[in-house]
Amino acid sequence: MLAIQLAITGLQTGALYALTAVGFSLIFGSTRIFHFAHGATFVIAAYLFYWVYGTGWGLVPGVLAATLGAVLFGLVLDRLVYVPIQRHEGSFFTVFVASFGVGIAVQNVIGMIFGRGFTSVSTPLSRSAEIIPGVYVSPLAWIAMLCTALLLGALHFFLRRTHTGTALRALADDPELVRTFGLNPRRIAATAFVVGSALVVPAAIITSATTGLNPTIGHHVMLISLAATIVGGIGSISGTMLAGLLLGLAESLALLVVDSQWTEAVTFAILFAFIIIRPSGLLGRIAAH
Amino acid sequence: MTKTSPALGEPLMQIRNLDKSFGGVKAVQDVSMDLRAGIVTTLVGPNGAGKTTFFNLITGNLARDSGQVTWLGQDTAGLKPYRLARAGVGRTYQDLRLFDGMSVWENVLNATEHGAFPMPISRAHRRGRRERMEHVLERTGLIDKRHTRAIDLAYAERKFLSMARIMATEAQLWLLDEPASGLDPNSYERFLTILREDVAGGVTVCIIEHNLDIVVGISDRIAFLDRGKLLADGDPKTVLNDPELARIYFGDRA
Amino acid sequence: MEAYIYNLVNLIAIYAILAVTLNFIMGYAGIYSLAHAVFFGLGAYVAAWVALHVHPSIFVTLPAAMASAAALSLLLALPALRVRGEYFVAASLGLQVLAVTVFSEWKSFTGGIGGVLAIPPADVFGVEVFKPQHFAIVSIIALIVVIGLINALVHSSFGRNLRAIRDSESAAASFGKNVPMIKTLSVVISAALAAIAGALYASYMSFINVESFTLDTSVLVMAMVIIGGTGTVAGPIVGAALLMLLPSAISWIDFLPQTEVGALQQIIYGLGMTLLMIFRPGGIVGRRAAV
Repeated sequence: MLAIQLAITGLQTGALYALTAVGFSLIFGSTRIFHFAHGATFVIAAYLFYWVYGTGWGLVPGVLAATLGAVLFGLVLDRLVYVPIQRHEGSFFTVFVASFGVGIAVQNVIGMIFGRGFTSVSTPLSRSAEIIPGVYVSPLAWIAMLCTALLLGALHFFLRRTHTGTALRALADDPELVRTFGLNPRRIAATAFVVGSALVVPAAIITSATTGLNPTIGHHVMLISLAATIVGGIGSISGTMLAGLLLGLAESLALLVVDSQWTEAVTFAILFAFIIIRPSGLLGRIAAH
Repeated sequence: MTKTSPALGEPLMQIRNLDKSFGGVKAVQDVSMDLRAGIVTTLVGPNGAGKTTFFNLITGNLARDSGQVTWLGQDTAGLKPYRLARAGVGRTYQDLRLFDGMSVWENVLNATEHGAFPMPISRAHRRGRRERMEHVLERTGLIDKRHTRAIDLAYAERKFLSMARIMATEAQLWLLDEPASGLDPNSYERFLTILREDVAGGVTVCIIEHNLDIVVGISDRIAFLDRGKLLADGDPKTVLNDPELARIYFGDRA
Repeated sequence: MEAYIYNLVNLIAIYAILAVTLNFIMGYAGIYSLAHAVFFGLGAYVAAWVALHVHPSIFVTLPAAMASAAALSLLLALPALRVRGEYFVAASLGLQVLAVTVFSEWKSFTGGIGGVLAIPPADVFGVEVFKPQHFAIVSIIALIVVIGLINALVHSSFGRNLRAIRDSESAAASFGKNVPMIKTLSVVISAALAAIAGALYASYMSFINVESFTLDTSVLVMAMVIIGGTGTVAGPIVGAALLMLLPSAISWIDFLPQTEVGALQQIIYGLGMTLLMIFRPGGIVGRRAAV
């Protein structure tokens, strides 16, 4: 029974990891911007939801506020930080450091406003029901999986079937190609930030209503996003999605053998194993060297 | 310099049936060629013909799909680029790839140092090395700029630094990727002089070049690549007078 | 007041050792590590253990600390440096997170959350050094030795190889450089020297626990390097001094509760890093835009 329980929890966690990581992977894969502040986007969305919903303004305003906050943060960062840096040189690490700095600042601002302890939101959907004897699942678990399936399906459609989506995929290989589509590469990059940032919102909300939040959760989100991007194969959205699921499942199932404080060690072990054995990742096309 | 000079015309590098494709596009197909001691071979062909890819394949910077490359009779399969470099294959890059944060002197000095660990070297060796480097910098006209950072050099100076680095090594084969493109007439004369002297000194050269004047002036042999295929390989006059090749080469301009 | 200043001098010297050693890989090899606090911590724990169980002489504790950090860094660097820079960032972040768990859980060695208590003071040629003003001599000499070593390395052929790799990996390889080997070696050297800071820290504080070796510390050291000036000699030292003095400076703000000093400090250097990257990527000491 425990194994089934952990597998379901793992799928729920994995679904949320997949969404978050795909957001990062989409931004990194198409713009080559090492958006380390993606973790901060998650924190902002989660705390905005926590604040709006917790104040009693209801679910829909909460979701809207979280989405708006995440998207705006992504856009503003792109415009005010990444665009200026890329104008004068834009090496991988300069962008990384700048992004990293923003992440630290956001984490601490949130900590000063909302406190540094653990907080969580309780919703009517958080309560678990026994679906088979000994296995408890909350409606949020199903919502998490459904949200992930729907959003990733929509993303797939967007990337494969729409003009902008195709341009987004081409951006990483050849920004000039995007111009021949009659589109502006900067606009396409901004689109990547909007979509990538919006994708963390369901994960942020559901996490705040299940396992809970603290301001440093951004680091965990980044570790997962980076690990999933590498394990999945840099540049492969489907690979990142699979890897996110895999990491969530592995973390959860690992509880069969180890205590909960070791779950991040499991992520690390998987990441390291891939770096050693298969650096191009599950579905990677780009050579790792 | 202790170069074991193979007899003129003896094959140093032998390339057989080289293949490489990128996602279905054949970048290099079935290319076979010998690079012979003391011979200047020029690779010509339209943009996108696969010339740089060809360099990347024979130096091991890119993994080949199939085919064989031997260096001094040894198969180079699985040999890392740095190993081949130590074995005597030197190259320059079209985009130069200078060590921008280092001075001219350090750029050239670094090209002469192979080991990962700092090794104690004798005073005599150090003096010999310094004289050699000074000579290289004199010939490339960079001696007065020795303390300038590479990034602060002018365009032509950067091209000559790229040459100076390879001149300072003991490489037997030089793979030069468009070393003279964009040079003014004076610099260009200097470049030709350098090349002639070093070829006379026993270096074997394979050079990618667009300017046909250069090509005729210094080549012993021309290899014509188009869409990854070796269409012709022979003495310059014959290749350049082939109307079919001229049509391919000038096709887009005619 | 005097003790306060000497205490600050010691902490600045210890953190400057960390910053200088991190700058060695960041500034000269272009390798960005988020795990520097792991080697700091490992050095501290090993030195504490050796001092408690073997001998408190720094000529025993330092080599032991350095050797363990070197060995661990080798395990990280061997696989992670064969591949692109992003992988090392990810792997080092993972190692940092894992190390915090190990430091908190491995009770027999690290004392768990409670930490290691009553670490004997540093023993230098049989003299016990425990007063801050005396320890300042030890820590400053250690800092000078580390700076001297790293400067010598940077100006040797090894340092030229590192800088060549930073500027163009492929060109360096075309000149016969074994790029993964040189990078791995630089990480091992950096980790071993960072362990010196750890060993000094353990004997100076006489108490250590995991709090000092978390991701926050790795980030703080990285901020010191970046704000001071990556790839410069003076940069990391200036950065270390500046960021160590920052909390005291912030304490002058009357209305700020003491509990928020740390957070405000992090906000300042976080935004500082971002603004520098936009307007002055070379840092405070850097002469121009970083290459």
